[in-house]
Amino acid sequence: MKVKNPYLPIPAVVKRAYIETTDHMLRTLELKFLKEEDAQAFHFIPGQFCELSIFGKGEAPFGIASSPTEDGRLTFTINKAGVVTTALHHIEEGSEIGIRGPLGNGYPMELFKGKNLLVIGGGFAFTTLRSLITYFLHPANRSQVNQITVIYGARMPGLLLYKEELNSWQKREDIHLVVTVDWGDKDWKGKVGLVPNVLEELAPSSENTIAVICGPPMMIKFTLPKLVALQFPDERIYTSLERRMKCGIGKCGRCNIGHLYVCKDGPVFNYAQLKNLPRDD
Amino acid sequence: MKWKLEKKDFQKFLQGLMEDYDLFAPVKLTEGVSEFKKINQPEEVYLNQLFTQKPAKEVFFPQSEVMFHYEKRGGQTQTISLEEIERERILLGAKPCEIKAISIIEKVFMSGESIDVYFLEKRRKTIIMGLACNHPLSTCFCTSTGGSPFLREGSDLFLIDLGESFLMEGITGKGLSFQENKFLKEPSEEDLNTAQLIESKAFQKVDSSVPVEGIEKRLDLMMESTFWNRVHEKCVGCRICTYLCPTCHCFDMVDEGGPQRGQRVRNWDSCLSPLYSLETSGHNPRPTGRERTRQRIMHKFNYYPKIYGQVACVGCGRCILYCPVHFDIRKAILWTSPKRPKKYEERSSS
Amino acid sequence: MIQEKIREIAKDLLRTKKVDLVIGFGEWTLPLRTTPLFIRTPEGADHLVWNSFCENNLAVYLHKFNQFKVGVVVKGCDARSIVALTLEKRFKRDQLFLIGVPCQRMVDRRKVKRAVQGEILHAFEEGDQIFLEGEEFKTTLRRDQFFYSSCQTCIHRTPLHTDVLMGDPVEESPLTEILPEVKAFEEKSPEGRWDYFKKEVSRCIRCYACREVCPMCYCEECFVDSSNPKWIERGQLPSDLMFYHIVRAYHQTGRCSGCGACERACPMEIRLTYLTQKLNQEVKDLFNFETGIDLEASPPLSTFRMDDHQDFIK
Repeated sequence: MKVKNPYLPIPAVVKRAYIETTDHMLRTLELKFLKEEDAQAFHFIPGQFCELSIFGKGEAPFGIASSPTEDGRLTFTINKAGVVTTALHHIEEGSEIGIRGPLGNGYPMELFKGKNLLVIGGGFAFTTLRSLITYFLHPANRSQVNQITVIYGARMPGLLLYKEELNSWQKREDIHLVVTVDWGDKDWKGKVGLVPNVLEELAPSSENTIAVICGPPMMIKFTLPKLVALQFPDERIYTSLERRMKCGIGKCGRCNIGHLYVCKDGPVFNYAQLKNLPRDD
Repeated sequence: MKWKLEKKDFQKFLQGLMEDYDLFAPVKLTEGVSEFKKINQPEEVYLNQLFTQKPAKEVFFPQSEVMFHYEKRGGQTQTISLEEIERERILLGAKPCEIKAISIIEKVFMSGESIDVYFLEKRRKTIIMGLACNHPLSTCFCTSTGGSPFLREGSDLFLIDLGESFLMEGITGKGLSFQENKFLKEPSEEDLNTAQLIESKAFQKVDSSVPVEGIEKRLDLMMESTFWNRVHEKCVGCRICTYLCPTCHCFDMVDEGGPQRGQRVRNWDSCLSPLYSLETSGHNPRPTGRERTRQRIMHKFNYYPKIYGQVACVGCGRCILYCPVHFDIRKAILWTSPKRPKKYEERSSS
Repeated sequence: MIQEKIREIAKDLLRTKKVDLVIGFGEWTLPLRTTPLFIRTPEGADHLVWNSFCENNLAVYLHKFNQFKVGVVVKGCDARSIVALTLEKRFKRDQLFLIGVPCQRMVDRRKVKRAVQGEILHAFEEGDQIFLEGEEFKTTLRRDQFFYSSCQTCIHRTPLHTDVLMGDPVEESPLTEILPEVKAFEEKSPEGRWDYFKKEVSRCIRCYACREVCPMCYCEECFVDSSNPKWIERGQLPSDLMFYHIVRAYHQTGRCSGCGACERACPMEIRLTYLTQKLNQEVKDLFNFETGIDLEASPPLSTFRMDDHQDFIK
């Protein structure tokens, strides 16, 4: 009996690639598996990630931005930072790419049922939150959760991701979306303000609500106390952690926080779990 | 079942094994330095050192291993995975501590949803012929970690050096399959008594006083202790302890080659390297030696036990013998325990 | 006794707060070894020792503590490293209090181990003798037959430019003019040299202990760790092993003090000092420069002079 090799990337191709932001640092890739059976076998939930390979350059982990409700669509948004991400910025449509996944634990979708969802995102950490929101906005799933409130902030309007989705969400009745920027520009008609302040202003009720927060460390540092002040208990605040990863399957030892591996036991944790983990930083 | 193999027959015995198996045994690199390698001639086997520098984990988890080749053919990249090994293997001359360590690594690599196929393949196809430690060193403390110089667990066949011959014990089915070998004879009563004597002498010699017992719970309370500020000071951040440690199994994955043709390789890595957890943004969750040394000790004596119920240290003492600045893990363990010397805060290092 | 003097001076420095800490040597668990100690209280100074097993180059720790005032125990070679580092502006001389100890040469613990049968459990020195005791043996060796090779060729064993000297200066003459390995190396043909080097370095396990114990290796990003550009791979390719050692030796040219810490640290017992010894000899011949002697000197490989040799330009 042959055991599946979890290190072998599955071949895929870049179907579409486009820059998301005005600073050209964020690019979204839409991928398609080369083999139909791989596409059929790929089942994921929001919050999971994949290791994308560019042969010759290496591999890196990226949260899945598309939702399982989007008919097999597989998108990732890449921040240009190092060797692999720069290569992912240069790869052309039609080029080959390798995928390993889905990896990680994903958001606790069962726990959200019957609750209100408060989603707070900052900058390019919004990727898996897009997956989560799109999932619950789908008609088949919308009734699973009650109110959906989203606060999404970026430094400037040009740096907002998924502008098309944001626009269509604004028009909907079944989701309360507040988009904010740190600094507006002459065309920006939306809110201007830092995410923690917007949250404080909005003051959503914590009753029967689960909060999911993803963003840069600075944003989390100032937003978390606001959530606590709004009476959110640690077990009902979820976040997706980042660590340098290699294998993505809990073998290479790199991404551990205490006895948990961010790639395998995470990357989604709630704050009650994080409080018990040794803070390594 | 026990047999006796005369040393005068040893080379011929090995020659016979090599017809059917790839034989991995310690090979001399230079005086006092040896390594597990696949041997081509029985004369290469070098059992003069108590243990090799690099431990037997190498045979299952090589320092540098090609995971797969990739090649672009007709616009499509093919990957050729290299986990299969053709011939069955025999690992000869591994010590009980490093054999126990293989089972410690196994628990990580061969469990869970994803199985490390490279390790699995080698482990499945290897027969382990362990060699007992007749003369443990003063730095050995395997008995403090639940092991012993004559621990048979993990070996398929267990060898005890009696001077002019080896006593061989068949431990598992794989080991017992050698009973038809023409060089294996019936051991005498004297042989068995000699082996007994050597075993009890060796067992007593090993340091069983290192307070490993209960260390997981003690370390639970010590995450922010000032102890860590001093423990790491003399560590220079090389990788000797992690590379020579039989249980350490962290690795890095890199691509070698270009977009057309190349390979993905995995190499040993070390949590003591500053680059280990360095993120591309520049942020490093373990920025100084303090965090990294703490990570190493906590992983071995707190994190791993939390998941698997045993410490990830076999008490072999390599880290003590080969550390260039004479870091002694036994001292660090001692200082987590109530047995520590009173004024440890003043002894500013470990 | 030197050991007493070291303790006294350390106590005094810490009591008067002239320094924040003193880095020296202490006894630890193994025979024939000492360990670096970081003493912050006068009472702690009682743990400092001085013997033939003080083999580490403590200058390597000064990079970590370059925000503090540090007292450090130095042998001849260690002081040379510090002079070289001061010239490279790694720290200011007035941050340091150098406790110089005229060195009687360090004993090669591996040579000693090979000279006896069985594990050495206790070792102590008296005068010129080393007394060794194992489970089933007791023996005495003459320490002068067991020096490290880098100590055999050391000329300036009295540390220079120190703040205090813990004893009378010792004579400035080496035991052997040239390392036997260097001599043997020079006598080889280019192919022979390559074979020797290749064989030695083939044992390398990329632990980088040689780099980490070396006071002169302080680059934030070492060339072997660079991924953009990636100079060499991270595996065990023989060509990569050779590349690492050749380039590291070249990076040491004119900077290496010959302390031998690299060779002593290597778990695979690879010979390394012959490379830098040879390179430093060439620097001496070409530029009349010796590492770590002159606090006013300009290291030749980082200085340009109008009268520099040009005859290598063909």
